[in-house]
Amino acid sequence: MVTETITAMDPSGLKAIGAGLAVGLTGIASALAEKDIGSAAIGAMAENESLFGKGLILTVIPETIVIFGLVVALLIK
Amino acid sequence: MLEPKQMSRAVIVGHKSIFEETVDALHKANLFQIEDFNEDESGLLIGRPFENVDDVSKKLIKIRSIASLLGVKDVGSKKQDTKSVISSLDATLDKLDAELDVKAEQKSKLEAELKEIDSLKKELIPFANISLDFDLYRGYEHLSVFSGYVKEDVESAVSRITSSYEIFYDAKESTMVLFVTKDKAAEVADLLAGFAFREFRIPNISGMPSESLSSITSKESGLLKQVKAIDEEIESLKDKYSDFILASNEVLSIEAQKSETPLRVATSDSTFIIDGWVPEDEFVELERIVKAATNGRAFVSKQEMMKEDVNIVPIEYNNSKMAAPFQEIMDLYARPKYKELDPTTLIFISFPLFYGMILGDIGYALILLAMAVGIKKMISSDAIKPLMNILIYCQISTLIFGVIYGEFLGFPLASLHTEHGVTEGLIKGFATVNLLASPVADEMITFPVHRTHLVMTMIIATALVGFIHINIGYLLGFINENRKHGISAAIFEKGSWFVIEIGLFLAILGYAAMLPSVTTILGVVVFLIGFVMLLKGEGIKGPIELPSLLSNSLSYTRIIAVGLSSIYIASTVNLIAFEMIWQPGTPIGGATIFAIIVFLFGHALNTVLSIIAPGLHSLRLQYVEFFGKFYEGGGRKYDPFGYIRKYTEE
Repeated sequence: MVTETITAMDPSGLKAIGAGLAVGLTGIASALAEKDIGSAAIGAMAENESLFGKGLILTVIPETIVIFGLVVALLIK
Repeated sequence: MLEPKQMSRAVIVGHKSIFEETVDALHKANLFQIEDFNEDESGLLIGRPFENVDDVSKKLIKIRSIASLLGVKDVGSKKQDTKSVISSLDATLDKLDAELDVKAEQKSKLEAELKEIDSLKKELIPFANISLDFDLYRGYEHLSVFSGYVKEDVESAVSRITSSYEIFYDAKESTMVLFVTKDKAAEVADLLAGFAFREFRIPNISGMPSESLSSITSKESGLLKQVKAIDEEIESLKDKYSDFILASNEVLSIEAQKSETPLRVATSDSTFIIDGWVPEDEFVELERIVKAATNGRAFVSKQEMMKEDVNIVPIEYNNSKMAAPFQEIMDLYARPKYKELDPTTLIFISFPLFYGMILGDIGYALILLAMAVGIKKMISSDAIKPLMNILIYCQISTLIFGVIYGEFLGFPLASLHTEHGVTEGLIKGFATVNLLASPVADEMITFPVHRTHLVMTMIIATALVGFIHINIGYLLGFINENRKHGISAAIFEKGSWFVIEIGLFLAILGYAAMLPSVTTILGVVVFLIGFVMLLKGEGIKGPIELPSLLSNSLSYTRIIAVGLSSIYIASTVNLIAFEMIWQPGTPIGGATIFAIIVFLFGHALNTVLSIIAPGLHSLRLQYVEFFGKFYEGGGRKYDPFGYIRKYTEE
């Protein structure tokens, strides 16, 4: 006699994985974007210190990506 | 309040005979910014510095070189009378210079001697264990002397070549001294080459090596003592004269500044014309000062501001004392231009507001408040003070939001009711009160607000706060644009955003069936009108920026997102310390101490993060989302001709 076992995946586990991916991947994306901008901004600041404000702004612009990731993760939860 | 100070362009004209008096008076008044004169076809020439400039700058160089030699630091000291400083300046400076010269000469002599001794010592060390007078190393007619390093004892090898030799070998330093007859010298030299022989110079002194070594070592320590004594004397000179150096440096800097002023001013054969800027409300005062100093012989006149002047007007903030620290945040970005609104007062409200909304914890607020007040009391630096004031404002806001959120170092103060039952808060018996049901996600708005259980509501609420903030930005942009390019440019560039927003609202409300469905169509029409206006106002750049309306609003959800991450760090620290390592109620032991250490370190770390994360994110919301809507900046700092005295007074 053949018995079939049906395995069901716990949806909350999948949700957690999804949330993790959302934060993790967007974090990597922000990091990739910020590393280039940040090093360029520091280079510019070495030339002219008054560029700190502009450098900071440009550096944190990609930060929005990971914030969105975090928001998505919270939504999934 | 939202404007920089009004400025007037003023021109001061007079005969050259009163040039110095005028410059003196302007310098003392410290409210007139000189506009540098560039020679042009007008026939006017740049002036020549006053006569005393050579003398002053010579003394200034001397004082500054002495100051850097002695390492005089800027310290708060009693203010001295300028006149007495000037009268004693020459004599004291000469005396100090002479004293220092003597000391420096003595010191360099001693240092040269020390260097000599050091090199002699290096030569002596290899011979230290060979007890042979240095006089016996030289002055032979038939003997050759080999002295130097060999890798092992060579006596047996030498004895095979000749029997008439004399060898001294020190195995510790691998030094060898070998005497052989001259006829065997070449052969022995070949042999030694096989033992990695390296010749040492024989020191040009007499006596036993060990004795010489100990005598020069003691001489060296004596010299070092003398050098130290001289250093102490120089140090005492520094203590004695540092007040004089600081005061005279200041007096001379002021004199030099005054003497060089003619280089910035237009002159003819017998007149001078000083052009510059003065705050409008100070103009009368300027006029009075100049008239008083010159017996009314110099003329001060107000010039009409030209259109191209707007770009070069120096900018002085005009904010209330409360909001003034936030000028630092403005300067970090850029000073406003003359015709632009100065948003310092708005930042004064919104920066601490967002900071508090993010952090919102009574415990951290109290810690950081104590820190900020302490640092402000201890350090009197003008650069630190405004930053500490900003931090204090932020902590007050954090404290208020901490009460609203009911959080203390990551612990909830009130009890928490969830499906899993009731979790007791830090304050026993302080129960959470349900206020009203949130319109989103079946959440209940309570007091205190448990952020961790109201995530959806808070996301919507923060995005809404952002939307309002952005619209204030557009409103300011409208005002700025109106001033710079007129009302029609303002309506097309900034007003179009409001039209677009209204259109979107109508369309959404109609679509969601809150209003009759015809409003959807009306909304779309209004949106399209706004879109066309934007296209006309901003060109192709406008439609590209359209999605920013959504993304900028959503960017404000960082207020809750960063706040939650801070809570989770704090509560994780609490969990590790007081659940995993040691549970309150169980016997106190080693684990208790460990738990407390973990608790302290964890929260110390989170306290540091609590300055950086909310600070940077709040700053970014101002700079990127808010300023992007209206602010240009790039104004020149108002830096009046004068000097803020620290060490002297008139």
